[in-house]
Amino acid sequence: MEWLSSTILKTFWRPTVNTIRTRYHADKTRLVRRYGYEEKIWSGGLMPRSEGRRLPIPEYRPLNPWTQRRALFGQNDYIDILGSGELHPIKTLYTVPSWIKGVSGHEYHILLRKKKMFARTGAPTIRPTKWKEYEKRLSFLYRKLNRKTKTGPSPC
Amino acid sequence: MSFSLINAIRKLNISTVSQIRLISSGSTDVSNINSHSNSDLNVTQKEWKFPPQFTKPREVWIENLDSIDEKKLGLFELHPLVYAVLPRIDIIHRNVIWQRKFRWVSWAHTKTRAEVHGGGRKPWPQKGLGRARHGSIRSPLWRGGGIVHGPRSGKTHFFMLPFHLRIHGLTSTLSAKFAQDDLHVVRNLELPTEDPEYLAELIEKRNWGPSVLIVDDNDYAPRNITVATENLPHVNIIPFYGLNVYSMLKHDTLIITQTAAERIEEKILQHLHSNTMPQQAKFKLNQV
Repeated sequence: MEWLSSTILKTFWRPTVNTIRTRYHADKTRLVRRYGYEEKIWSGGLMPRSEGRRLPIPEYRPLNPWTQRRALFGQNDYIDILGSGELHPIKTLYTVPSWIKGVSGHEYHILLRKKKMFARTGAPTIRPTKWKEYEKRLSFLYRKLNRKTKTGPSPC
Repeated sequence: MSFSLINAIRKLNISTVSQIRLISSGSTDVSNINSHSNSDLNVTQKEWKFPPQFTKPREVWIENLDSIDEKKLGLFELHPLVYAVLPRIDIIHRNVIWQRKFRWVSWAHTKTRAEVHGGGRKPWPQKGLGRARHGSIRSPLWRGGGIVHGPRSGKTHFFMLPFHLRIHGLTSTLSAKFAQDDLHVVRNLELPTEDPEYLAELIEKRNWGPSVLIVDDNDYAPRNITVATENLPHVNIIPFYGLNVYSMLKHDTLIITQTAAERIEEKILQHLHSNTMPQQAKFKLNQV
């Protein structure tokens, strides 16, 4: 009889069951270290700082793509094909100094050529310090390339 | 054998075209159509030194510059080896890279510890001060000292693109422009006025540009067009030998005079059909 009544009670009423977790670490009060200290290092990302004085954003000045130099860039580069054939395109590079026009190479080669071409001019006497620097750099590079660099497929 | 056959077929073509011209000039209907555009349409069939063997010549209208409304002055033939090759975008790109690089010299410069002034004296004794040991105030560790592995002045990026790649770059770009209707052939560069407004309006009306590259056959363009383009920075005139891939890509539309188109064609065809071993040889600095 007792069994029957408890079964009926169980079908009509069930107690609500709550799972109780221990929230020990979540509820623990933390020790605030250095209370009242204001962090001075910015940790808000890469944008200009909004607090205090803003960083100046430079004024946008679009460059003119149609200045004469830009508009006619590359003119006469095919002069050996379209011209009479006597002129090479590097002959038309009027703004490039003659000692470096059409030269390709390592710093040593370019400096060697520069010194060789300047030797005939008044450069050694007019700019002695520069001249000394060329010589010093050349001797340094000579020693580096010939005595301290392994030779192989790639020279430098 | 095949060559003579093709020539014979071309001869036939010429005769048919001339017949059409005779008929069109004789009949009233066609002349009415022509009267509002142009009275005598000039059709030229060209005799090339190196006629195209496997592809047909491309026809192009000759336009005028002396009125804002477009008038077709005639038909003109362009050689397919120059104006109708397969546009190789990779070759065009290599040409542009070459054009930018072969003139490029980087003048960025830093001084090494040997070149910065001073620094000969040992700043403080090696031992006994509790400080770090230093031998020179121009050491790269120091503020104001020398720079290690910095840029050294006069760094070049020079190289020469192979001769035939440059020819192919020109033909590819010309063909691409022509295929995209950005290449127009004009009879001459005579303008009625030296007013830049006129030229701007003409370009606007004909749907050219905004930027226009005008290619003439000699150094001296007519006065009116030089004055008109003086204050239009995006309209430029160059002689035919100044033509290059970079400028053709920078400008939207290419206007070529009839003689300039012929001269360009002639030069490129000459190189394509001759021995170019000297031009293909490796670039030597003392050759120029």
